[in-house]
Amino acid sequence: MSWAAHQFEIYAVQAHLPKKMRGRVSFFGIFFGDFTPDFLAKFWVYGITINGTHYGASVPHKWHRGFPGMGFTHTLFFGFVCAALIWLWKRNRAFTVGYLLGFAAHALTDVNDSVGTMLLFPVTWLSWSVETWAYAATIDGGKYLDAASYYSSLGLVMDLFWLVVVLCSWRVLTREYWRTNVVPADARAWAWLGRWIPERGLVALYQATFFYGVCRLVSWTTWAHVVAEPVIDGVKRRGYPFDLSWTGPWWLEARTLPHVNPWIVLPVTLVLLAFVYWLAIRWWERMGAIEESTRVRRRSRTGTD
Amino acid sequence: MSTTVTIEGPDGRPLDHRGSRRLSTAEQWTWTLLAAVTYTVLSIWHKWLLNWIVGPVWLVGWVVIGPFVADQIVRRFRR
Repeated sequence: MSWAAHQFEIYAVQAHLPKKMRGRVSFFGIFFGDFTPDFLAKFWVYGITINGTHYGASVPHKWHRGFPGMGFTHTLFFGFVCAALIWLWKRNRAFTVGYLLGFAAHALTDVNDSVGTMLLFPVTWLSWSVETWAYAATIDGGKYLDAASYYSSLGLVMDLFWLVVVLCSWRVLTREYWRTNVVPADARAWAWLGRWIPERGLVALYQATFFYGVCRLVSWTTWAHVVAEPVIDGVKRRGYPFDLSWTGPWWLEARTLPHVNPWIVLPVTLVLLAFVYWLAIRWWERMGAIEESTRVRRRSRTGTD
Repeated sequence: MSTTVTIEGPDGRPLDHRGSRRLSTAEQWTWTLLAAVTYTVLSIWHKWLLNWIVGPVWLVGWVVIGPFVADQIVRRFRR
């Protein structure tokens, strides 16, 4: 799984929207789209322990990404279904398109760990994985071992990569950008929040996901390499060892599911990403026309201007 | 393009739609940095702090309450 990468990628999506969508795609849509897969699947991966009894998935990686299990929540198919339902319910182009792009970013980023995601679900249940780092969520290790493994492997590089992508588009984090590009696309939501929170708080709320990503990246990395005292192969160490080799770290068994050849995963992922953007661009005008006609119909029904 | 109407307080400083003081960019980043340092350092030893609720609330809290408290202190010293 990816950690802070998911927090950074929403700003990357926001900063690199197609030209005609700039200032018109909902940031909340991107956020909730990116948030949905793990919100639905991750809690039970680690589970909870009450009075010594563990409640959670018996095979965490299978529950998280496989099928049967909650792996369908990390598929583009599910993203399209959710986006379609949102569209049918609200007829809100800004939120629907944002949701789809955020969801796609999450599902496609997660192909990097050793378990991957079922990219072509429901056509095939096979996982698509580049195996860049080891998937490490286990019942015994829980969140701590998962974090230690991720921040000792190329997962850390992945987080830093997304951080650099966002920092290269640093304007996306500024108050001016928020005011001119983010607020207009979600005017009602920000106005509602603005009834209780001053402007500086609203800007902070917009930046909060980036803030959270940076803090958890630094915090978990420091904990894993400075504070933790693991016993690996019977030897007590100060901090988990770094291993930036492919499918690392060496000190943990990478979990996998039946998967396709890793060499075809990256090209297919890029094609699917391009396909999602192509669809969003193609549907953009048509969705706008439908949204407008729905608005006119609702106004005439309620008799308001 | 959006237009921004700037309202000024009695001390000539810009106010937002709720009458709260608008922070300069440097001030906004300073408070954000303070929030980040405190949150990161504490969360190294208290991992329960690292979640989707506490993180955003921590930042918004620092940026909203911090300048308010600082303004109160400055005002009291000026008197």
